[in-house]
Amino acid sequence: MDERLEKALDFSNYMITLNNQKRLLREKFEEQLLYFFSGSQFTITKELINFCKAMHDANQDDVVLIDDHGNPALVQDIEAFYGNILAQYFEAANSYHTNYITLKKNRSVEKLVEYEQN
Amino acid sequence: MSKTKGVFLFAKNNGQLDYVKQAVFLAKRIKKYLNVPVSLATDSPIYLQETYGTDDFDKVINLDYTNNSNLRYFYDGAMSKKQGGFKNANRADVYDLSPYDETLLLDTDYIISNDLLSSVFESNADFMIYKKSSDISQARNEDEFEKIDDVSIDFYWATVVFFRKSETNKTFFDLVKHIEQEWHHYRRTYQVKSHLFRNDFAFSIAIHIMNGFQPGSFAEELPGTMFYTADRDILWEMNDDKMMFLVGKENYLGEYTAVQTKGLTVHVMNKFSLTRIIDKELANE
Repeated sequence: MDERLEKALDFSNYMITLNNQKRLLREKFEEQLLYFFSGSQFTITKELINFCKAMHDANQDDVVLIDDHGNPALVQDIEAFYGNILAQYFEAANSYHTNYITLKKNRSVEKLVEYEQN
Repeated sequence: MSKTKGVFLFAKNNGQLDYVKQAVFLAKRIKKYLNVPVSLATDSPIYLQETYGTDDFDKVINLDYTNNSNLRYFYDGAMSKKQGGFKNANRADVYDLSPYDETLLLDTDYIISNDLLSSVFESNADFMIYKKSSDISQARNEDEFEKIDDVSIDFYWATVVFFRKSETNKTFFDLVKHIEQEWHHYRRTYQVKSHLFRNDFAFSIAIHIMNGFQPGSFAEELPGTMFYTADRDILWEMNDDKMMFLVGKENYLGEYTAVQTKGLTVHVMNKFSLTRIIDKELANE
């Protein structure tokens, strides 16, 4: 095979794997953004964080939030709720960032999938 | 009085595949990640007792042995396949068989690798199932898991189902049994091309009926996404919550791309490669 083509195909394989791993990291991050409160599920978004902050700043203690299934849920301590989702967001985002940086440094398919030949 | 909760598994061996072994392996992971008791319904209780023991299970429920099965091909990667009996009948019996008030029903090839599903026992929803799914390869057409047919109703996965005992849920599972008994009628009504009975289809049809023959809120979505790999892929390596797969390249038969998952629960459809990994894992215990 032409050396130029062989190199291109090697790189192509690497890119397929890199993109798959990036996508799976993203999927994992999205799972880590799920917050469960009093039987309801919330995906922590920047919108949810900001809304909770706004409600807290407006001294609203009891707030009805709409969960991921479209059902209303009464949050009676918005300050604690806000603190919890913020902490969970940072933990998930930091983990995502760390893993992403590690992934980008790996320059071979074997390293991308942490495969060690026995 | 607090409600009892646990996971329920079915294992009916077919001569090609050892579902009992898969159940034993999965029960260990369920204890580790979800920390709830596991019950098993099997037609091979003596084999279970003599080969693995029953310590991993809260309760073992004996099922009558039957040869009734649907013949289908089981792939082991893109290049190898074997024909075997697919004993997928009577899944809806879980409602009557489960000893728990709150049951999480799992397929034995659903490899739990995180604690996400433990949240279902605290959920306000009484019936939960996955509709949203993702092929870890992302290279294949996933349309077959969107609708049960091109012009038919939404597809739901019977691989993972959470339910509480209630009159409504009893009605649902009785309906699934009825659909199974009258499968060819419902298959034609809902324009399912395959003759093979599939629980995914029966559950999808039953949800559609329970919702008043339209989309509705009878079934809530389970948390996250149901990740899966096809039986044309190969589970190559497993180390705790990490799994490495070789996923078949679309249109390049026998060529694979390596994919690694970390902390993601995955439905592994290549049961032969799963069995090879389980053998290694159980040998290391």
